Amino acid sequence: MKIEIKNLKHKYPSGGEALRGINTTFEGSNPVAIIGQNGAGKTTFAKHLNGLLRPTEGQILIDGESISDHTTAYWSKYIGYVFQNPDNQLFLETVRKEFEFGPKQQGLSRHEINDRIEFISDLVGLKHRLSTHPFDLNATEKKFCTIGSILMMDPKIIILDEPTCGQDVEGNQRLAKIINYLKNNDRLCITITHDMKFVVRNFDQIIVMSKGEILKSGNKYNVFSDVKTLLESHVAPPPITRVGQALRLKDISFSKEEFIDHFTRRIHQS
Amino acid sequence: MENINNSIAVLVRKLNPITKLLIVFCLGIGCLIYPLPFVGYGVLCLLVILGILIGQGKQVLKLIVGFGIPVTLMLLFIQGLYSPNNKTMIADFGFAQMGLEGTMYALKISSTLLIFLAAFYLMLQTTKNSETVAALTQSGLNMKLGYLILASLNVVPQMQRKVKVIQEAQESRGVETSGSFIQRTKAFLPLIGPVVLSSLTDAQERGMTLETRGFGISGDKPTSYIKVETTGLDIVLRMIAICFLISSLLPRIL
Amino acid sequence: MTSTLIQVNHFSYRYNQETEVALKNVHFEVASGEFVAIIGANGSGKSTLCNALVGLIPNYFVGFSEGSIIVDEKDTAAVSVGELSQTIGLVFQNPFNQLSYTADTVAEELAFGLGNRGVPREQMFSKIKEIAELIQIDELLDKNPLELSGGQVQRVALASAIILEPKILVLDECTTQLDPIGSRQIMNIIKKLNENGITIVMVDHDMERVAKLADKVYVIQHGTIVLGGTPEEVFCSPHLAEFSVNPPDYYEITKKFIKPGYSERDFALTESQAISLLQEVILYEDRNQKPQA
Repeated sequence: MKIEIKNLKHKYPSGGEALRGINTTFEGSNPVAIIGQNGAGKTTFAKHLNGLLRPTEGQILIDGESISDHTTAYWSKYIGYVFQNPDNQLFLETVRKEFEFGPKQQGLSRHEINDRIEFISDLVGLKHRLSTHPFDLNATEKKFCTIGSILMMDPKIIILDEPTCGQDVEGNQRLAKIINYLKNNDRLCITITHDMKFVVRNFDQIIVMSKGEILKSGNKYNVFSDVKTLLESHVAPPPITRVGQALRLKDISFSKEEFIDHFTRRIHQS
Repeated sequence: MENINNSIAVLVRKLNPITKLLIVFCLGIGCLIYPLPFVGYGVLCLLVILGILIGQGKQVLKLIVGFGIPVTLMLLFIQGLYSPNNKTMIADFGFAQMGLEGTMYALKISSTLLIFLAAFYLMLQTTKNSETVAALTQSGLNMKLGYLILASLNVVPQMQRKVKVIQEAQESRGVETSGSFIQRTKAFLPLIGPVVLSSLTDAQERGMTLETRGFGISGDKPTSYIKVETTGLDIVLRMIAICFLISSLLPRIL
Repeated sequence: MTSTLIQVNHFSYRYNQETEVALKNVHFEVASGEFVAIIGANGSGKSTLCNALVGLIPNYFVGFSEGSIIVDEKDTAAVSVGELSQTIGLVFQNPFNQLSYTADTVAEELAFGLGNRGVPREQMFSKIKEIAELIQIDELLDKNPLELSGGQVQRVALASAIILEPKILVLDECTTQLDPIGSRQIMNIIKKLNENGITIVMVDHDMERVAKLADKVYVIQHGTIVLGGTPEEVFCSPHLAEFSVNPPDYYEITKKFIKPGYSERDFALTESQAISLLQEVILYEDRNQKPQA
């Protein structure tokens, strides 16, 4: 599935300009991270990708078809959206019912739904919580419940809005597992996040947004070596990378292993 | 209410909410007490003019036409034709006779209702809820009661916001929220549960916030950021409102 | 002289409807002016502890508690949350929970707590202006708090707690929705408040930040404090991994290269330590290799 965004602009009814001409294309299954300052328009942009918001100007084409030709409910078969705040997107009595809701709308068979629940509840770590009321879940579990309920619909593209918010070590590992699963199953995952450690560990493509525009996009090597652009969009490279940059190591490092390797080479160079 | 900025609108907005409340009260009650209904319609005309002056004319007229005409017709039908007080008949429809007393009574009730409605509408459009409550607390209303009133007034916009968010979440999970009436109703039903439930959880969390921010601590007399002033204009308007009320009583006493 | 400001005495707590205890025999002290970080996996009891410190437990929540918590010489069970709020402020994990839901503007929101304290209206203005500039929300003062983005509300929530000038500030993951530079700014402000004498108790998942800012770190697991001490003591503990906590990334990358004789320290917990240590390593290696070349 391919999403083409052509000169996308969005104005609020109050007159403010949230998006000021975005051009980009999403294709394939390499996970994409959207990063940037608070108020840069990341969520506004993402909400256009499943039709919740409609462009004031410009176009969004999904496999050549204009997004404006159908409702969000129609596109939900292909594009899943997990909102930032899980509180307002859970509306049923049990986690199981939440998981069943989407596939039922799609008309999947009982058998198929149960198979998916088996697999997805395990992936998001809620297998033992299926009969719990979503309001009794803690904040992280709620987040995984909303992710699970979207994964249940098996969309080709899935958008995660700040999934790392408040996650601990285990939660981050679980998210990594989910993103990896999507990639291996030819699903595209687009994630908005402020956690740069999480970005460099899990994403091949990065889009940097600032003031309603895309300031830079590319792989992590391109993006995080351009410290000036990063600062402009209120982003800083992850800790390890910063140390490497401060020591003027030749190659940029994103993991402890990479750093140790690059630093070893540095001290043995002369 | 933000986009009207002519001098009269500014003036009305600046009035002390208590003055406005008093005016609403005196106009409504005054017209109810006054024996003849025509004063009420005169006042209603004045309210419409005021509405037009502050850029709310369309809405006030809509209110009067949409609510006033059907209600007046209904009252006229019931009271005019079937009131037991009818003594003087003014028209004969064959199946029933129209009585003067009932007709007058119907007109008076409808004009009073409309005055309350229009005046209260104009007040809401020109006053912030928080100002009204601040004015009430400053003139002696219990702080906790004030919070309760304000919080209840704010429930509706909050619910609207919540409904919108949940609706977006449901659309994203394949629920059609636009389309035929049945489709929209079907989409609306599952909204009720989460909206009510999350409002309950909200209430619990609200309580926590209030406590940790020192709400209702004994000892200090609470103060407010919102200052409600009572200007000369306020005093004059209050006098006029009270005079209006008293003068409407006069024909009854004399 | 430092005095004890918070004293948690073998405190245990179980929520009414739960079967398992949320806090089990928690025992620690916070000295006046200290910067304390509470870390641990989600669901370990960090937020419950925050609620207990400000007296919401046991005064607001229904449940069973044992032991006691003394904050500024007041037993939290014996005084109201409102009275404690004069000493100790809390910034909730979900910033929307901080709002009073009666304010039409951010300025009114900030004034809410001041009003409850009976601060005269004239003084409110200068305080609001000062705090709004500090937290960089001066442009939001006239906006409706309910129409702000998550990051903006997080700033407002923090400002509404700081403006009350508490002796102790409890922060429950208060920057999760801010961009990296924004959250760094906020942390610098909190550090500055701490330097000015305000005691900080902060729940956080960012270990680099904890190591940089905190004087004391407590690791909590299944409602119990399993490890506590200075950042050095905690992050160098061989048991750390058992509690689902990783040391700051700087620790491992420096530990790997430091050999005896390089420096006084043999590991780094903060960025500046890591950079200067590794620079020494480079110098040392360059010096040793030149003669052979």
